[in-house]
Amino acid sequence: MKKTVGILRFLGTNCDRDVWQSVEALGLEAQWLWFEDQFRCEDFTAFIVPGGFSYGDYLRCGALAAKAPVMSSLREAAAKGYPVLGICNGFQILTEAGLLPGALVRNESRKFIDKWVELKIANLAGWATALRSGETLRLPVAHGEGRFYVEDDELKRMHDQGQVWMTYVENINGSVEAIAGVSNRSKNVCGMMPHPERAMFSWMGGEDGRSVLNSLLR
Amino acid sequence: MTEQELQTHFKKYRLNRGEYDRICSLLGRPPRGVEWALFSALWSEHCSYKSSRLHLKKFAFKSKRVLQAMGENAGVIDLGQGEKVAFKMESHNHPSFIEPFQGAATGVGGILRDIFTMGARPIALANYLCFGEPSAKRMQTLVEGVVSGISGYGNCVGVPTVTGQTEFHSSYNTNILVNALAVGLFCDGDPVVTSNARGAGNLVVYVGAKTGRDGVHGASMASEAFGAESESKRPTIQIGDPFMEKLLIESCLEVMKRDLVVAIQDMGAAGLTSSSFEMAAKGGVGFRIHLDHVPLRDSSLGPEEILLSESQERMLLVCEPGKLEAIKAVFHRWGLDACSIGEVTTGTDVELYWKGDLICQIDPKLLTDNAPMYDRPYDSWTARNKKQSLQAEPVALDKSLRSVEGTSRQWIYQQYDQRVGGATVRDCEHDVAVVRLPHSGRALGLVLGCRPSIMRLDARLGGYDAAFYPALELAAKGFQALAMTDCLNFGNPEKPEIMSEFVASVDALADAAKLLDAPVISGNVSFYNETLKQNITSTPATGLVGLRDNVDSIPSSHFNQNCERIYLWRFDAIQMVGDQLGRNPHFTGDMNPAQVAQWLGLVLRASHLPNIHATKVVGKFGLGYALYRMCQGELGARVELGEWAPDLAAFGQERMYEVLFSGSQSALKDLTELAHGSETSVWDIGGVTRGELTLGGERKDLSALHGLYRGGWSENFPGLS
Repeated sequence: MKKTVGILRFLGTNCDRDVWQSVEALGLEAQWLWFEDQFRCEDFTAFIVPGGFSYGDYLRCGALAAKAPVMSSLREAAAKGYPVLGICNGFQILTEAGLLPGALVRNESRKFIDKWVELKIANLAGWATALRSGETLRLPVAHGEGRFYVEDDELKRMHDQGQVWMTYVENINGSVEAIAGVSNRSKNVCGMMPHPERAMFSWMGGEDGRSVLNSLLR
Repeated sequence: MTEQELQTHFKKYRLNRGEYDRICSLLGRPPRGVEWALFSALWSEHCSYKSSRLHLKKFAFKSKRVLQAMGENAGVIDLGQGEKVAFKMESHNHPSFIEPFQGAATGVGGILRDIFTMGARPIALANYLCFGEPSAKRMQTLVEGVVSGISGYGNCVGVPTVTGQTEFHSSYNTNILVNALAVGLFCDGDPVVTSNARGAGNLVVYVGAKTGRDGVHGASMASEAFGAESESKRPTIQIGDPFMEKLLIESCLEVMKRDLVVAIQDMGAAGLTSSSFEMAAKGGVGFRIHLDHVPLRDSSLGPEEILLSESQERMLLVCEPGKLEAIKAVFHRWGLDACSIGEVTTGTDVELYWKGDLICQIDPKLLTDNAPMYDRPYDSWTARNKKQSLQAEPVALDKSLRSVEGTSRQWIYQQYDQRVGGATVRDCEHDVAVVRLPHSGRALGLVLGCRPSIMRLDARLGGYDAAFYPALELAAKGFQALAMTDCLNFGNPEKPEIMSEFVASVDALADAAKLLDAPVISGNVSFYNETLKQNITSTPATGLVGLRDNVDSIPSSHFNQNCERIYLWRFDAIQMVGDQLGRNPHFTGDMNPAQVAQWLGLVLRASHLPNIHATKVVGKFGLGYALYRMCQGELGARVELGEWAPDLAAFGQERMYEVLFSGSQSALKDLTELAHGSETSVWDIGGVTRGELTLGGERKDLSALHGLYRGGWSENFPGLS
């Protein structure tokens, strides 16, 4: 049986088709998980919350999506230890849902930033075994609210548990300690601002996204 | 109606005596009630193209690739292998000057609707912007507002902005240009849907945002020159909601794909009026519309305001009654309401009802097909700007890199999501944007054209150049130009000197399109770009689409192999002496358009040579600037003086046309063979090297040049960095 990746879809999600394309490129099966529906965790091997502008970023990025019915199933999957990856707005949704620590606020420049950036893997995520700590990646970012913020005591706890997943080599948005991606304590739920699905083929300008998605999905 | 009342109506509805007489003779009586508003909107320059229609006919020519040309929301071309693209460019100049953020945002929204209305999924956006001098009043605010408006809308709706062109000149100080282009893709047998209403008894269905007071009289506002009171026009600006647009894209594409609709049209300029009247007129059917059934944001709106509102993100569609429930279900899934506001009738009139009373019954063709068409006075084009050679100040490379015309546009592009959709091969940083077609894996190239600096010298030559220069950029990357769209931005057409430039550049553009076999399949005219009697530089912006078989071996935009040779291929179509920063640039010689088109074919072949690795078309600021732009990171160039540049100043001289190639030693022979017999010159001008750009023995440190190029933006716009 093929491994099936569940891709969450909210109103306004716009990187859903890109993630689908990437999952298929890795030889896996993809299935949509509509925001109004619930699902059985056992039917899937991993979950991706794609980027985009769910609910037009109204109220606060990810705040409305975090309350959608599909999230109660995702919560269950997270608790059961299934790999979950939130990309960009998906990362914002996971922090809003309380599945990941911290918050993502307006970039220091107060402008949207689209560019290729260098990233450094700080700690191993549970499933992302293909990414070694100290390894560098080159991936594109595209966000207006990607500045990771966390209180000092929480940050200390994150360090103690090895929850800082990846950092920017050059801090592009004013994130605390240049953090670009984090994981939960059990390290099965991860979020990252850069877009691995936009770096899958050499014609995209880089292929480092493959190793991120590959390790999630294998 | 007394003479005084008549004058008041003329002013309010922006109609003149001649048009009033025409209306009276069409109706057989004077207009009454909402008819004034209907004629005002649909006979506005913006909707009727009354000053340009006569000349736009010159764009028509047959091509087997064209599936849909002028007359629909966008043009459609067949790419073969089951893939088709729709594309169009449109202006949003007037609203963007009044309120830059919303003006630019709704410009993007409007052009996207033109594309998905046809059944195509939007896959790329581009924008052509002309601003005034950085020091001009409000200019920093305008630049910042326009860029964030485009970014705010395009990024949220999830369509990548893949290319742009940004010009600066004092002629735009009080009238900026904001032109947005969108490309949409059909594949897997997606239907091309039109706006022709059909079938008596079918329902007229309203979807999307509720109607508000925004944009009432917008179309006629955009058809007038600005005076000192343009500030007071702010209430006619529409507000965009990209989230609503995203939902509309998904839901409309779904109902079209499932064959649930007969016809569909977005409510753009002149809102419900133009969409319903055009749908009925094109289909040759009648409509009965209950204006009080239109969903309202503000319950105090009356019938005239409902007819003219330009609230954004609204669509009108026609469906069979049996399919209404299925349509409602699709829209509901996407969080939208669809409601029936009328039906198609057996007659040919549009009947408008308000709370049960028939308030207007009129043949829509009187408003659409019978709109006035003016043959505005113009003079035949003379080569008035072609002076004799005159020694002008060349621009030193350092100066050009720091100038607002030459500096990096990174500040702009970085605000656009250039990669959403997962198909971007080349982004805004490159001269030609490239998007990968998902089914065939082929490459679609997109590039904008029109150099205002050339238009200021000669509108005829500028018209040719608006097609040739972008076509040359496509050719240099191995793309065959297929078709183009245009956005003709001009001043007041009632002034013969403006109309003369319009006619000259349209004639040239139409001729170039024929020579390139790249027909103009869609477009837009924006007249009255005049504020306080100052007209903008006539700016016929273009967007060209090209195709190549693969994404893998597209020549790089930068030198990518140390020690390679650099070749220059020059075709002296015309020589321009002087520069953009100097006061008196001008041309010598004349252009033979057929020869240019032929040479473009040779450049296309050259760019496919396996021993060519990087290419660049030489444009503004001449050879030196183009060479610098090919330097990236550590790789630079060392270029000697020679026939191609007899002295240092020659590196800062613009010509039409030149292309740079870098490749292996063997490429010289191949290029020379291609050039044989074509009255063009190919030279080996130097080599790729590290850390420096040396022109004619004058060595410049590459990192210093990078500093100038990247720092120029914040020098010009200290408030924007």
